[in-house]
This record gives sequence, C-alpha cells and structure tokens, in this order.
Amino acid sequence: MKSYPFLFWAYNVVWLGLAAYVALLVARLGRLDRRLDALESELRARDARDPRSGRA
Amino acid sequence: MRRAVRALTLPLWALATLAMPLALWAAFLLAPEERVMGAAQKIFYFHVPAALVTYAAVAVLLAASIGYLWTRDRRWDNLSRSATEVGLLFCTLVLVTGPIWARPAWGTWWTWEARLTTTLLLWLLLLGCLMVRGYADDRDLGARLASIVGIVAALDIPIIHKAVVWWRGQHPVVFAPDKSESLAPGMAAALAVCTAAFFVLFALLLLLRYRVAALDERLHAAAEAARGREEIR
Repeated sequence: MKSYPFLFWAYNVVWLGLAAYVALLVARLGRLDRRLDALESELRARDARDPRSGRA
Repeated sequence: MRRAVRALTLPLWALATLAMPLALWAAFLLAPEERVMGAAQKIFYFHVPAALVTYAAVAVLLAASIGYLWTRDRRWDNLSRSATEVGLLFCTLVLVTGPIWARPAWGTWWTWEARLTTTLLLWLLLLGCLMVRGYADDRDLGARLASIVGIVAALDIPIIHKAVVWWRGQHPVVFAPDKSESLAPGMAAALAVCTAAFFVLFALLLLLRYRVAALDERLHAAAEAARGREEIR
C-alpha cells in the first residue's frame, strides 16, 4: 500500500509527458502550415505583380 | 513520400488511441501484483517499453545519420532530427520513471550505477545532438555535426544493454537468458502488450515529428526562394 504514491506519480509523469509532446507537435504542425501558406501566397502575389522575378 | 506520411498518420492515431488504454488494462488488470514490491512494480510495464523504444529511436537515428553523411539528402536529416527528439522524450521517461521505482525498491532515488549512468550519458548525447543542430549557423554543418553525435550516441546502446552484466550493477536484468529468472506468464503478457502499444505510439510520434521537420524544410526553401527573388530585383 505504501508504494501506491510512487505508482501514481510514475504513470502521471508518463501520460502528462506524452500528452504534452503530442500537443506540442500538433501545435507546431499547425503553425508551420499557416506560415508556409502565408509565404507561398505572398510569393504568388509577387509573381502576379512582377512576373520577371518569379518562376513564371 | 509526403503523401505516404500523411496517409499513415490517421491509421496510426487510431491504433495508438486503442493501444494505450489496452496497455493500461494490461499493466493494472492483466499483470498480477508482485508480492515483495507491491504496486510500485507496475511502473516496470511503462519503464521497460520506454527503454526499448529509446533503443529503437537510436537505431533509427544511427541509420538516418549514416544515410545523411553518405548522401547529404536532407530527408535523412529530417528523419535523424525526428528520431533524436522522440528518442530524447522516451529516454526522459525512462530516467524519470526509473528513480520513482528505485525509491521504494532500493531506498534511494539515484545511484551512480553503470546502467543508470550510461543511460544518463545517452540522454546527454541526444540533447547534444539537438543543441548542435540548433546552434549551428549553417544548416548543413549542423546536420553533419548532429549526425556524428548521433552515431556516437548509438555506440552507447550496447554499453547500456550490457552494463549490468559487465559491471554487475544493482539494476535488474529484465531479459535474462536463465529461464528460472524469467517473468511470470501474466507479467510477460502485460509487458508484451505494453511494449507493442509503446511501439505504435513511437511510430506515430516519429511520423508527426517527421512531418514537422519536412514542413520546416519546405518553409526554409520557400523563404530562400523569396530572398533570391528580392536579390534579383
């Protein structure tokens, strides 16, 4: 019975650690997706304004 | 490649969502309570799988580091970066759950015993891998140096595994060749279920982290292209 607090804390550390990392990864994915979309649309807008400097 | 990574994400999410509660069921209900240590022994069912996943992450890191040094293909570096970070997470879980188990079992949180010390060394090497990459001004130089540190980290794995035998430490031998010291059937089944669940989770986290690394790479390439166009003007 005395060792239950150790079990409780060990499992909490594991679950909280894993959940925090998954949340961090999902947040990073979302942020990078938004930044990439913004940069690509900016590049397309620039190309439309000045086609000589772009891929077109 | 990008499509394959995206296509695998959803099934792995579903599998991990099923596997982790199954692991809890196995650890708490399937496995019998150990007579001497009592409840604290159940830490073992998450501690050992986390250690095995750390080994697997470092194996991926080794392959990706060699792949990058050989080909200089950035995709290998993305994989290496992902394996390092996920490996560091699981190694941290090993180093946190170990002392929580050790306190009731050995009467101390930490001892400079061979397996514990070499595992701490691995944690520092994995952290070093991330720091080398983070602090390098040049992405390619950072990737090269991190690959070298990654290979050095992989050399630590056989030492960790054999440390208990070579230096006769306090740490229990989990996979003993002697059958008389093997686990009770319920315990072995619970360990197998938990290990499988942790490997599913590892695959999911590695995939998600790889997607982050690949997006970061695309963002970097797009920013470089934008800068190039500015210079042309």
